[in-house]
Amino acid sequence: MMQQRSKRNFRVREQLIWYSFLITSILTLILLTYIPMLTAVKYSFYDVSVLGFGDDVFVGFQNYQKLINNSSFLNSIKNTFLLAVMGLLSIPIGFILATLINSLGRGQRQNFFRVAFYFPNIITGASVVLIFQIVLKANNGLLNNALSFLVGQNVKIGWLSDSSYSRWGATILHLWGSIGYSMLINLANLQSIPENLYEAAEVDGANGLQKWFHITIPQMTSCFVFLFITSMIGGLSRFTDLFIIGGNTSAGRPGGTLQTILMYIYQFSFEAPQYGIASAGAIILFLLTFIITLINLKITGFFKKEKKGGKVREA
Amino acid sequence: MKRKKIVRWVITFILFIWLIITLMPLAWAIALSFDRKALNTLPPFSLIPHVPTLFNYEVAFTSFPLVTYYLNTIIVTACHTVLAVFFALMCGYAFAKGRFVGKNFWFVFMLAVMMIPFESRMVPLYLQYKNMGLLDTYVPLIIGGFAYVYGIFFARQNIDAIPDSLRESAYIDGAGEWRIFLQIVIPLSMPLIATLSILQILSNWNNYLWPLVIIRSNSKQLISVGVSYFNATQDAIYYGPRMAVAVVSAIPLTILFLVLQKYIVQSIAISGTKE
Repeated sequence: MMQQRSKRNFRVREQLIWYSFLITSILTLILLTYIPMLTAVKYSFYDVSVLGFGDDVFVGFQNYQKLINNSSFLNSIKNTFLLAVMGLLSIPIGFILATLINSLGRGQRQNFFRVAFYFPNIITGASVVLIFQIVLKANNGLLNNALSFLVGQNVKIGWLSDSSYSRWGATILHLWGSIGYSMLINLANLQSIPENLYEAAEVDGANGLQKWFHITIPQMTSCFVFLFITSMIGGLSRFTDLFIIGGNTSAGRPGGTLQTILMYIYQFSFEAPQYGIASAGAIILFLLTFIITLINLKITGFFKKEKKGGKVREA
Repeated sequence: MKRKKIVRWVITFILFIWLIITLMPLAWAIALSFDRKALNTLPPFSLIPHVPTLFNYEVAFTSFPLVTYYLNTIIVTACHTVLAVFFALMCGYAFAKGRFVGKNFWFVFMLAVMMIPFESRMVPLYLQYKNMGLLDTYVPLIIGGFAYVYGIFFARQNIDAIPDSLRESAYIDGAGEWRIFLQIVIPLSMPLIATLSILQILSNWNNYLWPLVIIRSNSKQLISVGVSYFNATQDAIYYGPRMAVAVVSAIPLTILFLVLQKYIVQSIAISGTKE
């Protein structure tokens, strides 16, 4: 009897010790993630004015209705997806770069290029936006200078000030920072392809192009999916560079072409506070992210099955 | 054999040209930051300053509290990183080695957070801090570090690989879980700690939206937001000083990168492949 009791005490004590490792993080997540998230859901159904918390009025789906009928919100969704899709260019470019670097073979030269090309990704931030505002300037900007030299005519495109080019300008800025990351992930995955797959193919008499098609590409699919998903999710919450380009406003200058969903939410949270509308926008952002994550889970699961099916072995 | 060597040189050459094009904006920005001619108009392209000067840096440092921004950023980054990594290891240890009721539940509870983007709960979080009177303090920027979910997930995988025999022998010596954690697990997890710290430092240094929302007074601002003030207030002109600000704000991470490049590149590659 005594023994059993002390054993149980010991168990309870053991449990408490393990929970002492977790409790701070659990409480933090409840207070800083779950409660605010539920509050956002709640706000999205209320007419929340700036000051009052006591007399908020339940308005059902009105906030969502207002958003869906609002052309500038729809515009921000369009911008977000356009920019996110244009940003996907970093995947093929990063893959080509990684293939070139990988073909150098392991050694100092490869390490040099790997590190040097990754470098822009490290300093991406406000300072890079300042630099690219000048690089992409219409008059005497570096890009226009280079283009003028290539074309032989004076090119004066306002990459970040002309609303018909601004998305390309913003994409160039984005790619400059993200190609290094894409290269690094592509390279790491290229190098993890088992060498014996290529050897087996060589025995079967496959040439370089066949090896590339039947081994490299299928083996890299999960890497491409990973980059696609992270790039899309990152693109959905794009904010910093476009906010700075617009002169520290969330209007998405020039001409609203660079206003993303998050900038729209920011506008209705901090510039012209209407927390109900902002929260409804936030929930839509959450749902979009959630859907992409679910697709990700589905796809990656799907590819795991494919691999087991032996398609790769055949190659 | 000879053909292979030539191909290798051709590829090296292509990569080299590509690299020069990639880094050209930075080189130009550095040149402009030392150029007295870059003030109201952009001077013609040159990698050597037309009129070399330190004037732009003087303007940058006198018109903006760059040193203060730096110190603020270092404080916030250091606090957040230390908290995030330490608590991630604690949770990682419990999930890897612990036996307790609700283990799976709490693990899913934490992983689910990865599906909730910070941005979608930002407004209520901001109002929460506003009601607590914590706006314009560093508390909101730091206490998120108590739950670094990606780190927890990553730490669990790594700590799981530590052999149980080490723990068992410590048990026999009468050590409790906390002593095992502090004296065995942490010393064995140095590579893990390095990776997580690097990821934390990088994301903290470039964090923009949250400090923009939380910090109001100029003297408390962080470098990322502080740098963009320069852009908003001096909109179209003062190219030289702007480039000086950009260069100065990019220096710390550049140095960090040059010193730790091998570890940084490894950490990023790992974080992208162990999906």
